[in-house]
Amino acid sequence: MAHVDTQVVETITKRKVELVDCDVHAQATEAMLANYLSAPARRLLERYGRRTPRVTDWYPRARNAGMRVDAWPGKPGHIWGSDPETTRAQLLDEFGVDYAVLEVLSGQDCYDHPDFAAEWNSAVNQWQIEEWLSFDPRLRGTIAVPHEYPSLAVAEIERCAGDDRFVAVLLPASAAEQLGSPKYWPIYEAATAFGRPVAFHTGGYVDHRGPGYPSFYLEYHVGNGIVMQSQLASMVAGGMFDEIPGLRVVLTECGVAWAAALTWSLDSAWELMREDHARLPRRPSEYIRDHVWFTTQPIEEPDDPQHLLWAIEQARLGDRLLFATDYPHWDFDSPKQALPRALGAPLRRAIMCENALALYGLPAERAG
Amino acid sequence: MDAIDCDLHCAPESYEALFPYLNDYWRQYITEAGIRLNGLPHAYPRGLGGTAPSTYDALSEHVPDFAILNCLTGFETHRNAYFAAAVASAINDWLREEFLARDSRLRASLVVSPLSTDDAVSEISRVGEDPQFVQVLLPVRSDVPWGNKNHHAMFAAARERGLQVALHAWGRAGLAPTPSGFTTTYMEDYLGNQPIAQAQVLSLVSEGVFERFPELHVIMTECGFAWLAPLLWRFDKDWKGVWREVPWVKRPPSEYVREHFRFTTAPAHLPSDPVAVDQLLEMMDGSGMLVYASDYPHEHGDGLPALLERLSDAQRRELLTGTAAELYGLSA
Repeated sequence: MAHVDTQVVETITKRKVELVDCDVHAQATEAMLANYLSAPARRLLERYGRRTPRVTDWYPRARNAGMRVDAWPGKPGHIWGSDPETTRAQLLDEFGVDYAVLEVLSGQDCYDHPDFAAEWNSAVNQWQIEEWLSFDPRLRGTIAVPHEYPSLAVAEIERCAGDDRFVAVLLPASAAEQLGSPKYWPIYEAATAFGRPVAFHTGGYVDHRGPGYPSFYLEYHVGNGIVMQSQLASMVAGGMFDEIPGLRVVLTECGVAWAAALTWSLDSAWELMREDHARLPRRPSEYIRDHVWFTTQPIEEPDDPQHLLWAIEQARLGDRLLFATDYPHWDFDSPKQALPRALGAPLRRAIMCENALALYGLPAERAG
Repeated sequence: MDAIDCDLHCAPESYEALFPYLNDYWRQYITEAGIRLNGLPHAYPRGLGGTAPSTYDALSEHVPDFAILNCLTGFETHRNAYFAAAVASAINDWLREEFLARDSRLRASLVVSPLSTDDAVSEISRVGEDPQFVQVLLPVRSDVPWGNKNHHAMFAAARERGLQVALHAWGRAGLAPTPSGFTTTYMEDYLGNQPIAQAQVLSLVSEGVFERFPELHVIMTECGFAWLAPLLWRFDKDWKGVWREVPWVKRPPSEYVREHFRFTTAPAHLPSDPVAVDQLLEMMDGSGMLVYASDYPHEHGDGLPALLERLSDAQRRELLTGTAAELYGLSA
């Protein structure tokens, strides 16, 4: 009799997971992170500030600093995305999000001194743990690392990896070298050894090498997808997926529909110029298929929704797409409206939760 | 084959071939600095077709009904803006004498210094009335994106003479070949032209170039085209969100692109599944966006036949001749 009662209790308290949001922004102020710094680093921050120019200095977000107007917490000392209570109310509770993966971009700059960069990223992670992951059991974190200093980045991964609530390692989509460079492989190896994917999030120090600096945020923002195409080509051509067979990468906030065209061009070039990349034994499309995931926001919106389905099929992305809102940014994709109806229930369910559960190893039921 | 070839290459074999068109100062500069033309080996390695023909005799058998000559030699002129302007003028004179004067089927891109709008405007004024020049040639890799207001006087000079503008793959020595940094393989550099071309599409539309120059067409040459539709889906979506930043962009960006851009067919990087080729063409609003190019002597694989196979006879004629004839005012 007692046995049956236990089962009844479990049924009542478990909820089937239906929605995983794979790109949610918590944003720390410098004052918040200063609490986690050593005295010398805090003094440096107070008296000299940081070295990396902020992209918002040269591409101002055209309206409301790039944030949802209603996301301002209205609490002393807080900014958009800094208050867990606001995020819980506007995102987790509002939409019934079962898990939300935080990506804190405050550590993505690359030109700080290594000592400071290491402390700064540790501070980001401690702040995540204390203010967010401990605040609501639906929240998951990503490990911020001083990526330009790979040995320090590896140390930070080792420090944080024991906490299961960190589900990935976070890197920017622009760095001092191309992201396929062997310079960064130790970071990818460490992430893989600890069973974590590497999430590359749009941003970082974008210096527009190649076409020159555009004039507007509009170009910069659409251009995020273009930069990621170039990075994915670098990752494939550089050979990192052969070197680290278990590596899984998540391309975040860069669009998805371009994947097929990039794959065709890579495969065509691979056929044509074999001596140039003799160490790549497999077709580029196969590496992408085996190693690469994409978050959806800001998902492309063709006039004819069928075209988006074609783009997903052409690149075989059905089990590789991870739903994301990008809360609290202006271009938030609503879980209720962002994906076209034409998707069909199984594909929708895969994108909204199943793909993320499989990738991040999250339980399909949670206490609710 | 009945065709208009929108990208046929020629190049002087050496700077000495341009000496008749350069003054003493530049002849001495070239000689004393030991500057040599290398035939852009980074862009066109021996393994993929190598250097372009340098004489009419070597080129003539590759000319179909009409051909537009693209000479990329100016892409090698380093960072000296005075030198770039002198070489551009010399190349245009060389093109006229060596090729255009000998064959009425030939047209050419007018080359200009990519480093100075003033110099580009002067050169367009100097030779742009010659009806055998049909467009201004710019490297897709620029110091500043081509839509930037600093370049608008050049577009104005081109349009006054009925010239279009071609952005051709490669260019500008010293820049990283991708938007994400320096590369380690030719494959990345080669494909790097395509993301850069996308950035140029964004620039030209966002800066209102086509509102200011409603008759201007931009021919994206050797930059691929399979990337176009997904770019426009995102461009339109973002424009709906932040159009206030660019109020001179009055319509969805995709409308400007469909009216004002055309893309050459080499390279054509296509899916192996023919159904996906049909989908690709439908997504990019049809094969009317494309114009034929051989890109001789450069090799890009066998995308073009796979593309032509999926077209009706009428579409094929349009791609091979009709669209380009209209664009450049050519008639059989």
